[in-house]
Amino acid sequence: MVNDLLKLAGSDAGKMVIGLVGVLLFVVVNALLLTWAERKIAGHMQRRIGPKEVGPFGLIQPIADALKLLGKEILTPAKVDKPLYYLAPTLIFVPVLVSFIVIPFDASLQVADINVGILVILAFSSITILSILMAGWGSENKYSLIGAIRSVAQNIAYEIPMLLALLPVVMLANSLSLREIVEKQQGLWFVVIQPLAFIIYFIAGVAETNRTPFDLPEAESELVAGYHTEYSGMRFALFFLAEYTNIFIVSAIAATFFLGGYQGPVLPGIVWFLLKSYLLVFVIIWLRWTYPRVRFDQLLNFAWKGLIPLAFLNLLITGGLLKI
Amino acid sequence: MTPGEWIFIAVMATTLAGSLAAVLSGSLIYALFGLVTAMFGIAGIYIYLNAPFLAMMQILIYVGAISILIAFAVMLAGPMYLRPKEWTSPKKFVAALAVVLLSLLVLVGIIMGSFRAASGAKPLIVTTQELGRVFLDKLTLPFELISLLIVVSIIGAIMLALFSKERK
Repeated sequence: MVNDLLKLAGSDAGKMVIGLVGVLLFVVVNALLLTWAERKIAGHMQRRIGPKEVGPFGLIQPIADALKLLGKEILTPAKVDKPLYYLAPTLIFVPVLVSFIVIPFDASLQVADINVGILVILAFSSITILSILMAGWGSENKYSLIGAIRSVAQNIAYEIPMLLALLPVVMLANSLSLREIVEKQQGLWFVVIQPLAFIIYFIAGVAETNRTPFDLPEAESELVAGYHTEYSGMRFALFFLAEYTNIFIVSAIAATFFLGGYQGPVLPGIVWFLLKSYLLVFVIIWLRWTYPRVRFDQLLNFAWKGLIPLAFLNLLITGGLLKI
Repeated sequence: MTPGEWIFIAVMATTLAGSLAAVLSGSLIYALFGLVTAMFGIAGIYIYLNAPFLAMMQILIYVGAISILIAFAVMLAGPMYLRPKEWTSPKKFVAALAVVLLSLLVLVGIIMGSFRAASGAKPLIVTTQELGRVFLDKLTLPFELISLLIVVSIIGAIMLALFSKERK
């Protein structure tokens, strides 16, 4: 019996199932942890304590929240465009799951090392926008639609500097595979050579995850909740889960590309990787509770007139220096 | 049938279903999502043909950029949930005739062409490095011509934006 199970786990299909279950588990635990961290950090930054009633330091709070969301009746507003409305929360999970396939958690802990790894993440992350569009359109609600349109405009603007900021690293490492990029950073992290690219990537990443100060698609004070206004219960929770996982993915890619990924002394690789990633996650949460929301014209001007020319210049200089 | 063939059939079915939805749907937004499905199917064909770089570029450019731009255009284009009123106009017949003739031409080209010789052989595995080298070595002229095309379209867009501002 045990042998049979081990044999099954060793096969390709078995590995895939184990990988998928592991990824799903990680997604859920990560989201629970981050909701707690977000509220706790926000509390302390505003001289409050944050959640403290449920469990020690309020640690059980996210589980209580999840149970509440699970127990809610799933409402479907009468006038929604049903196929799109139902499909959107499911589809928003595809890029999240695909991204985890190529992220190297440790030298040997990676579902698959694809030689166009970073392209897989970048290509599939664009599907997030499509599902936001679906949600906004399918809800037949003007707030949702405005949120979706804003999201589309924002993502067009910020996807370009994001790509341009990652390209110098690809040129330095001479590879598109995430593991090889990490291996090339054995002596020196790329953030030392490419500080500007790191900052540009990080800003664009915060904008891509629709976080404050770039949270215009879901601005509470203007648009109720933007594209997920009409969603409730578990469907709303899926959007939430995807958002928190996206924050982790953006941080994980930044750690992989610029901060040496799983490289580090003494501690095992996965500890270093998670440490670096969650440090960046903390910075993203920190930004949310420090800065006010930008105006829409500021957002677009900043991307098109600031970040994109800077990223191009950086790319050009890197290319020139590499050839000398 | 081998699993590979089943996958191929699934990919083809996705592509066909998507393109049919794109052509036949009355609502613009559904047509757009049909188009996206078809693009995904084409990316699947590239993966099946051992060209992962091309497949990822297909998703990145067509799903991530072009379809988002189309979505943007659709949303700016006014009442998009209304079907067009006239279904039979002479223009449509001319367009249909042109499309049928063109597809016939392409079909004849495929059947008569040299594609058939390669059908038995396994597809080549081309790495991203090789692809880049070919672009900047053997195929420099077409590569540069494409960038010229993009420059022309960007200048055109800028001119359009400038002129529409002057009119106000």
